[in-house]
Amino acid sequence: MNRETRKTTSPVGKAVPRIDARPKVTGEALYVYDMRLPGMLVGKMLRSPHAHAKILQIDTSKAERLPGVKAVVSASDTAKIKFGSNEYFFPYTVDQLPLEDEKVRYIGDEIGAVAAVDEATAEKALSLIDVRYEVLPAVFDPVQAMKPGAPAIHTSMNNIGVMLPVQYGDVEGALKDSDYVHEDVFYLPSAAHCSLEPHVSVGQYGIAEERITLWTSTQAPFKVREALAKTLRMEQADIRVIKLNVGGGFGGKLEMLPMDFSACLLSKKAGGLPVKIACTRQEEFSFTRRKHPMIYKLKSGVKKDGTLMAITGEVIADGGAYCSYGPTLIAASIMRIFMVYKIRNFRVFGFRVYTNTPICGAIRGFGGVQSGFAVESHMDMLARGIGMDPIEFRLKNATDPDTVTVNKLVLSTNGLKECIRRGAEVSRWKEKYGRGKQSDADVVRGIGIGIAADVMGSKMYKAHESAGTIIKVEEDGSVYVFTGAADIGQGSDTALAQIAAQELGVAYERIRIKAADTETTPFDTGSFASRVTFISGNATKNAAGDVKRQILEVVAREKKLDKEDLDIRDEEVVQRGDNAAVMSFDKAVELCYSFDYGHLLIGRGNYNPKTTPIDFRTGEGNISGSYGFEAQIAEVEVDKKTGRVKVLKVTDVHDIGYPINPQSVHGQIEGSILMGVGYTFHEDLRLTEGRVLNPNFSKYRIPRSTDKVDIASIFVETKDPQGPFGAKGMGEASLLPTAAALANAIHDAVGVQIKELPITPEKILAALKARQKE
Amino acid sequence: MKTIAFTLNGHKTEVDVPDNELLIETLRERLGLLGTKPGCLEGECGACTVLFNGKNILSCLKLTADADGATIMTIEGVAENGALSGLQQSFIDQGAVQCGYCTPGMILASKALLDEKPRPTDEEIVRGLDGNLCRCTGYIKIIEAVRAAAFKKGP
Repeated sequence: MNRETRKTTSPVGKAVPRIDARPKVTGEALYVYDMRLPGMLVGKMLRSPHAHAKILQIDTSKAERLPGVKAVVSASDTAKIKFGSNEYFFPYTVDQLPLEDEKVRYIGDEIGAVAAVDEATAEKALSLIDVRYEVLPAVFDPVQAMKPGAPAIHTSMNNIGVMLPVQYGDVEGALKDSDYVHEDVFYLPSAAHCSLEPHVSVGQYGIAEERITLWTSTQAPFKVREALAKTLRMEQADIRVIKLNVGGGFGGKLEMLPMDFSACLLSKKAGGLPVKIACTRQEEFSFTRRKHPMIYKLKSGVKKDGTLMAITGEVIADGGAYCSYGPTLIAASIMRIFMVYKIRNFRVFGFRVYTNTPICGAIRGFGGVQSGFAVESHMDMLARGIGMDPIEFRLKNATDPDTVTVNKLVLSTNGLKECIRRGAEVSRWKEKYGRGKQSDADVVRGIGIGIAADVMGSKMYKAHESAGTIIKVEEDGSVYVFTGAADIGQGSDTALAQIAAQELGVAYERIRIKAADTETTPFDTGSFASRVTFISGNATKNAAGDVKRQILEVVAREKKLDKEDLDIRDEEVVQRGDNAAVMSFDKAVELCYSFDYGHLLIGRGNYNPKTTPIDFRTGEGNISGSYGFEAQIAEVEVDKKTGRVKVLKVTDVHDIGYPINPQSVHGQIEGSILMGVGYTFHEDLRLTEGRVLNPNFSKYRIPRSTDKVDIASIFVETKDPQGPFGAKGMGEASLLPTAAALANAIHDAVGVQIKELPITPEKILAALKARQKE
Repeated sequence: MKTIAFTLNGHKTEVDVPDNELLIETLRERLGLLGTKPGCLEGECGACTVLFNGKNILSCLKLTADADGATIMTIEGVAENGALSGLQQSFIDQGAVQCGYCTPGMILASKALLDEKPRPTDEEIVRGLDGNLCRCTGYIKIIEAVRAAAFKKGP
């Protein structure tokens, strides 16, 4: 295992060690939280204590006079330009000021910031800022907020930030033609991302150049740059955003936050001293972003033979005080079903509603965890209504390869049915399903299924979804990959290095990744929508192909061979036909840089997935270049006396196209599933009158090592022709069906279907009691 | 202010600290050992785990003033003569590292466990890591890494 001599050629498909693992196990890996610069100041945000209030006056003079305070900012120091995350598709949802001016809309709303020599001084300065409010009536519940006469949070009618009517076919006719119609309401709570590294930013203003550098713990450096430029009224060229190692994101670090903006503005006011603003864990839980709580109503009809005839419903999402990613998130939550089920008659209305609560935004699964629980629980109930096995029911209605859905999604490679079949086979479904209910024992077992699909990329931020990669091969044969993709822990840098090495024909160990810096790396929209391996991976493959072509042209000229007959494999330039060695990669590079050629090796690659324009209002269009699919089967043991559930096993069968790094892919799946287990059984970000009640890890319990579950993770390899080496994205899909698979397994064990997360022992006992009374 | 002397990663170390300074602050701010990660500063996440007289403790709950005469190891002291320890290598080989923010604490908690129980059962590994939160991995590969390090045949 000597590092210097290890050479992994043809690394794609191999479990090579992560490119960033060594510095992470030695403690050398730097995160923005670790940043320190000469003269660095401590910044703190001033937040509203009220859920809804008019700001009458902000007086910062006392704070400014406190010794040690270097800068204080409030709305009057800003250009008062609003930002939002879905500006391209939903311009009317751009609704948040970096520092609010006239009104505050949730407890925690940012209205100012201070920078001081130390934390204690900064805290003291915050307390010296005199803000006078006129408290307004507030509304905390989305259903109440939609009623006429409810307090108006913004200017939109009935506090509805976004209303989406997604309709296809003849729903009424199809329901009439159905043999069985079933109606349900599901309740989904809020949840927190709980990245181990809290949000943190270091901003520095350069007075001479009038430019800003921001180091921030982000999933999307280029998006942060764009929002900063807009709100600071600066050119993007004058803003540099740098990502270091990121201690987890899960969707929570996908936007510019007021703290990013404030760190930059404070630094400017403080004469260019760098300003670091870090969230405490309590701020992280209470004031960053959180999962949309949803009420999911579904009413659907089926034929006796299992044919899904129509789905109707209504989704009410509590969005909190500002829109954030809400518009596209509610669209995605509703429209995901078209990837999964063949359905022609569909009508679901989505409402994304403002309340005076902390802002809801993107979180792993992007609305699909909520819809996954509702839809997959509902499907089981429909199957039971006609006495059909849940596996058979799903096989009957699951989407097929090479089909176009009613809303124009182009599903090319699609392993969904194979995932379902293999899941049933591996878990021995037939032997196990339906056994629990026959048992009189106190502790009974059950088995349940959920299925899901996901995009790999989504044009929700810009008209294009391009990513670019630059590769330079130095004289000594070292290979540098410059990518704007943001590895936030998922392992995308490793996957990109593997792809670059494979395409270029060199060992994985040669590759060094440089990412991400808006000034030195190519544009990339960021880490979201499970897009990086698929999109940035293709860009990297194209860049590696470009630099390889350059090398082969030189070798062909030198050796008087046809360049089309040459390739680079396992660090050798070879003839394609018989694999005969022409020269080593190192010799070839040397030749390129020689007196005769002087060819500097720089490759470039770009990729923009083949999609069609999406109309987010109707859900029509082909949103992604490819789609991933999966089936998850959960086995549980339920104690009827205590209501306690033990998860025995989760079998996950996933169409991942082709695994660039099987170990990393399994790691993503395992992490997703345990996150899903947490959301199923105990995660619930609770609020009272707009205040988060459990803003710490002792009250908001995320899964611990003692909660880990046995997971069988199985790949279905459909080798997507669009994907780099056949790969699809897969960072989120495994979280989508987990809660429903578990709920369905609980039903199989004890005969009660819990429709409200989290599934607590109390809810199970109450349901068992209610059933006895029937 | 008090002068506190301890052995840190094998070196005699002396610091002058206020009575209320936390060990994580001393390590990170005074001594520049940034591998000890602040995750919550409330004693609930385990990211700031260090070894204190051989036991894993949370450096955000420990006053430096109480460290006089102690032997402390942070993640920076785990590698031996510039080479990764078997446990560190095992975390890499088993794919136990994702975002890496919990990793230093995880490795130190694992080291404390293996120092006490060189051949732990799976149950003992799971319980030994119960104080260290990870949001990325689902713990499976972390547990595999500890198991592999414990049961690996000699070098």
